[in-house]
Amino acid sequence: MISKLSIAVPCAFVVAAASLSAFSDPLPPDVTYRPLPSQPFSVVKADDEAQKAGVMDRQKKLLDQRYDLTDHPIPGVMMTGGKKAVQGGVRVKLAEGQSWDKLASISPAEIRDRALLPAGFLPLPHVKQATGGQVFPEEEISEISRQEGRDLRRFDVDFDLPDRMTPEFPPPIFLTTHPELGDVSRGQLLTIRNYYEIMNGIITPVQMEGLRLLLTPFPQEEFNQTEDRKVAGQSMGVACLDCHANFNTNAAFHQTPDIRPQAARFRLDTTSLRGLFNQQIHGSKRSLRSVEDFTEFEQRTAYFNGDHVSATRKGVNLPDRTNQVAMMAQMQNIIDFPPAPKLDPFGRLDPSLATAEELKGEAVFMGKGRCSQCHNPQTSFMDNNMHDLKLERFYKPGQTVNDMVELPDGPIKTFTLRGIKDTPPYMHDGRLMTLADTVEFFNLVLGTKLDQSEKDALVAYLLVL
Amino acid sequence: MRLFAVVLALVLAPAVPAGAQFGNPAGMAPDTLKKSPGQPMAHQTNYQDRLFAQLVAAGGLAEVRFGELAGKSKNADVKDFARRMIDDHRMANDRLKQLATASKIPLPEGLDDEQEQMRVELEKLTDEAFDLAYISGQIVDHQKTVQLLEWEIDSGQDADIQRFAADTLPVVLEHLRMAGNIKAKLINPQVADASKASKK
Repeated sequence: MISKLSIAVPCAFVVAAASLSAFSDPLPPDVTYRPLPSQPFSVVKADDEAQKAGVMDRQKKLLDQRYDLTDHPIPGVMMTGGKKAVQGGVRVKLAEGQSWDKLASISPAEIRDRALLPAGFLPLPHVKQATGGQVFPEEEISEISRQEGRDLRRFDVDFDLPDRMTPEFPPPIFLTTHPELGDVSRGQLLTIRNYYEIMNGIITPVQMEGLRLLLTPFPQEEFNQTEDRKVAGQSMGVACLDCHANFNTNAAFHQTPDIRPQAARFRLDTTSLRGLFNQQIHGSKRSLRSVEDFTEFEQRTAYFNGDHVSATRKGVNLPDRTNQVAMMAQMQNIIDFPPAPKLDPFGRLDPSLATAEELKGEAVFMGKGRCSQCHNPQTSFMDNNMHDLKLERFYKPGQTVNDMVELPDGPIKTFTLRGIKDTPPYMHDGRLMTLADTVEFFNLVLGTKLDQSEKDALVAYLLVL
Repeated sequence: MRLFAVVLALVLAPAVPAGAQFGNPAGMAPDTLKKSPGQPMAHQTNYQDRLFAQLVAAGGLAEVRFGELAGKSKNADVKDFARRMIDDHRMANDRLKQLATASKIPLPEGLDDEQEQMRVELEKLTDEAFDLAYISGQIVDHQKTVQLLEWEIDSGQDADIQRFAADTLPVVLEHLRMAGNIKAKLINPQVADASKASKK
């Protein structure tokens, strides 16, 4: 059998190779490439506007089916800048009669076969999957309009999550170069208008030029001057910090640049740039090896579409590697985490400052909960690796939800947990609303079987990181 | 075999009450008749719908044809797989044909050049060489079909055809997973058995 097979294998490859070279047709071009619009802008705009109510209603139904989005802040816990309360409790909805403990006792295969996985644990679709693109929260749209007169409002979709589920706005800014100053934002959103006034005297000329570029709008796939845009007027584009507001995040979302066809692209929740100085890989999937590569590349493709072809038509910015990219990188690399006074230099709790519950949470984090195997305290709660949680053990891939196909995520970068209470929603696509949700998610996915007191302690611990 | 058909029928039935599709109007054909602004009337196709139907119909015909050829295999896994391809794809082909007729899309009735070449090669092969060539071909065909189905889900504008694509995708992914497992077993039976055990 084995010897026969060893002859058969090369034989089959020859057959396959011959037939491919002779007759194989590629898949249609727009499976990979963005097609040119087939209708005039005014017609597309009118149709998009007509669809909008239905689009938003469909997304609201999905969110309501998956999550409890009501206002239940954790008493006495605010985000670092004190502008917004941290929401508490598990918000992913369970099926009638189900409990988290019961669910955690069922094998992944049975959860998959009986379709028991809570829908809120599945990938979260973009509000309009077929179009995709960047969607900004109302606070960002209003502030950029007020300061710059630049329009970030789309005519086809609105932001879909309530304000209470997103980070405080505008968030504080901490610099590695000036720990003694604390928050240097003056409570304002950094923009191309005010950055010099706020930062002169604090940062270097090189950092200042990097900051200017990070605040300069450039054409983007949905915000540009062509008929292929989703903003009413011809747009000047978007800036890096339109999403990474004050170098944190405002929960603006997009789709992953790394996947085609469009229906398979997962939602991307803006990540915070706090602590970038310690991060060795960049992009949830691309694993780019330097922030210079990342910064340069996102300019090249008009921000997060993995498409230099379409971007070229809309006008791209090609920053010079040594004179511009390096300066943008140097600015990003001085953004610090918010202070965590209870942590020692190795990222461990100082027992003289921490509560008993926080210490218990740390013990779970380091042991039974297995969190620290990737979120290593010593390296800013990261491991500079990507991991595949293999969530598809719990569901059957291929279901279409709001025009997005639910597929395995594959390896995703480990994100830092420093300052984590400031950056809801959670996971790379923002599918989880609270820290308690993340504890239930990982308890199930890792099979750690934590009890309620251990879960509560973990949340208490995460709040002080 | 009947069980497979029942399972497929269940999967193909719209299990989740799917919300309306919302395509990007920038990709809508200019001559589209609309029931309301932004919403095409039933059976109003764009070029993606039409090309999708033709490519997937050709693939479906080939699946049945190659499955029939695989009747000569002496490997039980391959034979079972081939039977399932015949049953599942006949059913899907019938549904697609109805949709295409309703939307006035002409469908191919025979194999294309690439498939014909594959058929000729498969006819020449026997035993393990046949099994491996058949299953390897099935993997490529199903990979391509997965990408086409996903393409139609967001690029098409005929809601019925988009729903067909969405309903069919999980089944095709399951076929692809099965074919992958069979190929692993053909190449290395011990490793394949171990991976199967760990899946349980």
